[in-house]
Amino acid sequence: MQENTSYVELRHINKHFGDFQASKDINFAIPKGRLVALLGPSGSGKTTILRMIAGLENPDSGEILIDGKVVNNIPGSERGIGFVFQNYALFRYMTVYDNIAFGLRVKKASKEEIDQRVRELLKLINCEGLEKRYPSQLSGGQRQRVAFARALAPNPQLLLLDEPFAAIDAKVRLELRTWLREMITQLHITSIFVTHDQDEAIEVADDIIVTNQGRVEQDGTPQELYSNPATSFVARFLGNSIPVKNYHEFQYFGAEGPDTEAILRPEFISIYKKGENVQFKKSAEEGVVQDIIFRGSSLEIRVLLHGNLLSAIRSINDPPVQIGETVDVFIHRLFIIDGDKITLADNQSLKRESVII
Amino acid sequence: MQLRKDIGVLKWVLIILCVVFLAVMLLLPLVYIVITALREGIGTYLAAITDTYARKAALLTIEATVWAVVINTLFGLCAAWCLTKFAFRGKKILSTFIDLPVTVSPIIAGLIYVLTFGRQSPLYPILDQAGIQIIFAVPGIVLATIFVTFPFISRELIPVLSAQGTDEEEAAALMGAGTFTIFRKVTLPHIKWALLYGVVLCTARAMGEFGAVSVLSGHLRGKTNTLPLYVELLYQGYDFTGAFAASSLLVIMAIIILVLRCWLEHKGDKANDIR
Repeated sequence: MQENTSYVELRHINKHFGDFQASKDINFAIPKGRLVALLGPSGSGKTTILRMIAGLENPDSGEILIDGKVVNNIPGSERGIGFVFQNYALFRYMTVYDNIAFGLRVKKASKEEIDQRVRELLKLINCEGLEKRYPSQLSGGQRQRVAFARALAPNPQLLLLDEPFAAIDAKVRLELRTWLREMITQLHITSIFVTHDQDEAIEVADDIIVTNQGRVEQDGTPQELYSNPATSFVARFLGNSIPVKNYHEFQYFGAEGPDTEAILRPEFISIYKKGENVQFKKSAEEGVVQDIIFRGSSLEIRVLLHGNLLSAIRSINDPPVQIGETVDVFIHRLFIIDGDKITLADNQSLKRESVII
Repeated sequence: MQLRKDIGVLKWVLIILCVVFLAVMLLLPLVYIVITALREGIGTYLAAITDTYARKAALLTIEATVWAVVINTLFGLCAAWCLTKFAFRGKKILSTFIDLPVTVSPIIAGLIYVLTFGRQSPLYPILDQAGIQIIFAVPGIVLATIFVTFPFISRELIPVLSAQGTDEEEAAALMGAGTFTIFRKVTLPHIKWALLYGVVLCTARAMGEFGAVSVLSGHLRGKTNTLPLYVELLYQGYDFTGAFAASSLLVIMAIIILVLRCWLEHKGDKANDIR
């Protein structure tokens, strides 16, 4: 992220609510046109950051820049932003049409102009014909899209979304994610959304900013965060991570230090049935299947290895395994955490086998 | 099945109990008021209610009620607003104080004002010099009426305002709407029915107020007598027809308010569907 192209920038932001410090020296920059996720567990200060950018909260210290200007003393309504609230906060005593038109009416746009823009947005969100309805008469997905249209109506340069999918049921949520991503890419509007759901962040966002306990842990593309976690928190938070203390008992992994710990993810582990003819068989260890969970498109196998319950994914098409069955477990790699230092360790047999072959 | 039958019996017993209780305690006295008022013929009744003093008492009651409703609406809106939209020290205490008039006897309320504005008060010379008379005059009656009715409107508004949260207001503010626009377009439609309902309750209570007003009024016929006080005056003078005729005026006003209340509740329920 280059300094000179950033559209939104936070510099040394601190914020307290009473004795609670919600933001601790927050620094990041977001380039124009990017779709960025603020990802973190609840209480990590992500919504506070969003509300400060919107001008709904004031930072105790530090600077917020939008489009190169310090906006700390500029009211939210003049920052050129659109805001989608967690529960949409649609005006419940106004029709869909009046909801979308509200921002334009406040700005004293002409009647024709308002009508044209509202029609255009209704078409964009696929809600033509619903303009006379009240928010209570809409489905969750429609409400979300109306909230989106209302935020976009005054042509903001920056779109902020607070947990945009939290209040929607699972199936519609998946559709809306794709829809929102397409919409934002099409409009090319810089967007920041808050979420606690890592799948959502990984799927929708170009960049992810991970927050924890009021701090920014790491920012980068989803791939970077996944393959190169900068802190132990990120390594633990992303993916279906399982901590392992006695990883040095595993074959082909050496101990790095006395107080170190390893993090394993399902995609680091392969499970083979006895007798399955596979490449890494020689360097696999024996484990016992404890549980099999059907995930629809795949199976999650829980296997006990050196006293650790590990998770691995197995395809539906692979020969089935049973609970209690002894299987071969091959660990491709793992993260070793030493204090706040993280290293990726590969299975040493991979090098050796390649030498042999 | 057995269980359901038991509940059926219980239901009817409770319904009959309620109906009998209401008939004896409420309906019968109301009927009695009408009968006694009309006992000496419609002519006497009309003469009694068109009597100058009766008219003046009715007008004064309406005047005090209007003042009380207007001032309590403003106060109620402010109080409900600050109690639900802001967090501050002493919020609980403020909330408790609003309920004070419900727990304090109206007579005591009247006495408090006599002590605050009467001859023995340090405020009296200042007020006297400015030519303002509060005790035994109309301002005192208005003050007493406001005191006994001031929780009604804010108590109706607080639950509605706190349920709504601040998101919609914030959304409107972010789009550049001013405070007044936000209030008119976003907040008011939401609290409209609760507010009207509070006004109705406040009106009903203000019209019937006796205790506090009695202490502050001084009972000057045609000047500081409200309808309830006038009724008492006639009753003490053994003018039963007059007393019951004046009472019937209050009853009519109460029935109008009751009908209004039913209609508002009905309307309000319909509006609630929009949530």
